[in-house]
Amino acid sequence: MSVVQAILIALVAAVSRSEGDWLGECKLREPIVTGFLVGLILGDVKTGLMIGAALQLMWMGAVGIGPTAQLDIGIGGTIGTAIAITTNTGAETAILFGVPVAVIMQFLNTLLMSAYSGVMLRVDKKIDQLDFKGINRCHYFCGICTFLAYFLPTFFVMYFGNGVTEKIVSNMPAWMNSGLGGVAALLPCLGFALLLNIIMEKRLIPYFILGFIPAAYVGFDLTMVAIGAMAVAVAAIIFMLRSDRPVAVAAAGTDDEWED
Amino acid sequence: MADVKAESRFTKKDFRGVFWRSFTLLGSMNFERMEALGFLYAIMPLLRKIYKDKPEKLKEAMHRHMAAFNMTVAPSPFVMGISTAMEESVNDDPDFDPASINAIKVSLMGPLSGIGDTFFWGIFRILACALAIGFAQEGNVLAPFILLLVFNVPNFVTRWITLKLGYEKGSALLTDMMATGKMQLFTHCAGIIGAMSIGCMIAMWVSISCPLQFTISGSEIIIQDYLDQIMPKLLPIAFTMGIFACVKKKWKVTYIIAGIVIVGFILGILGVVAM
Repeated sequence: MSVVQAILIALVAAVSRSEGDWLGECKLREPIVTGFLVGLILGDVKTGLMIGAALQLMWMGAVGIGPTAQLDIGIGGTIGTAIAITTNTGAETAILFGVPVAVIMQFLNTLLMSAYSGVMLRVDKKIDQLDFKGINRCHYFCGICTFLAYFLPTFFVMYFGNGVTEKIVSNMPAWMNSGLGGVAALLPCLGFALLLNIIMEKRLIPYFILGFIPAAYVGFDLTMVAIGAMAVAVAAIIFMLRSDRPVAVAAAGTDDEWED
Repeated sequence: MADVKAESRFTKKDFRGVFWRSFTLLGSMNFERMEALGFLYAIMPLLRKIYKDKPEKLKEAMHRHMAAFNMTVAPSPFVMGISTAMEESVNDDPDFDPASINAIKVSLMGPLSGIGDTFFWGIFRILACALAIGFAQEGNVLAPFILLLVFNVPNFVTRWITLKLGYEKGSALLTDMMATGKMQLFTHCAGIIGAMSIGCMIAMWVSISCPLQFTISGSEIIIQDYLDQIMPKLLPIAFTMGIFACVKKKWKVTYIIAGIVIVGFILGILGVVAM
């Protein structure tokens, strides 16, 4: 791998992380996007996209909610895809490297978010001095640190780790592969569990089942659109029915009718 | 009142500034104040305009917005809009209680995050990825562009609309929704859409199967077939519910991830689960 390629891949890794911080979570982090970019850099767009699709399926449930640790799929997908393409292997290699990277980088994230708490004290001081540029600088400083924390390790792994990764791939025992397959199978559950944690209350359980059962038993491609449309319709009907009776709803609200 | 002010104090350019700055909300995310600095960064130009010749008031206002703040990013401009309108009231009306600003911000964090997470993480993201996967599997270069487009059109539109709505109608809308209970109703209805979609998505997108099979006295026994007879997608829903129970018990997500990695790895090696 050339220096330029390593730099560009490190750039993809860093941007796919900073996207959430600075570009309004515009989803450059998704494996299909990073796979495409890495493929473009390494001259094999098609493989990049196909590996990206495999990782995307695995990380369908990878959501980022609240100030908690999640899987860092941006850098995981970037490094995984890059190693899979350079070693001429497939999605299994991408999973082998992508999953551990996504988990480990999350711990680094926790570290960064703790460290930035200290910067906030500096902002308090800058406010008292009415140093507007200083306040902005504090904001940018955190961003630059995050960027470098992703850019530098990726560059080193890409540029100097070539021989090592190739050795790992060629000597990988079969049990390692099936073990990571198991991890990849279970991980998506977490994202959906986190989503459920946000919206779930007892009175929503019937709707949850109403969404799950048809998809589980029928499971053709249109199900999601159909169920989505059905959900919007049900919600709209209930909204209209209830909002026609403002007094009752107001009373219900104080009776905790909507909260469990 | 807010509509009159809109013409006198701020220009369209000011709001465009907040709109673009709102994209950096998570830029200095930390455990202590969370998105506070990003929030302050977004509305600081407006605050400076409001408190032009009152440095002490400006300091107070900026400290106010350095209080911990955390919510889903896409609808956050709503809170920026409503905060700006309220800061104007603080400046124009000496009887206005500044403490109500942070009270409103805190009370909006929960409901708006719930609705925002449901739509952006639960629905738009999944829809964008689901549409793009088919193209990506064929190696079609359209895939990443479809993904980004499907997600970001709602992302951009929501930011712009909620910013205007929050500034122009925020207080009135809020009082109305709180008083008539429409806020709870709206949250509940968003919950219905969310619950049904998540139920559907678990069945569609979590793939856990059991590759175990035995041969007992010449006949092959495939465990997955038995599981499917009980209910299709039994393993995905069972594991998701199990992890959901752990989240509900307020286990740290980091520990849950570690647990999933260990359990998944062992079960994978033993050949009990696979994708």
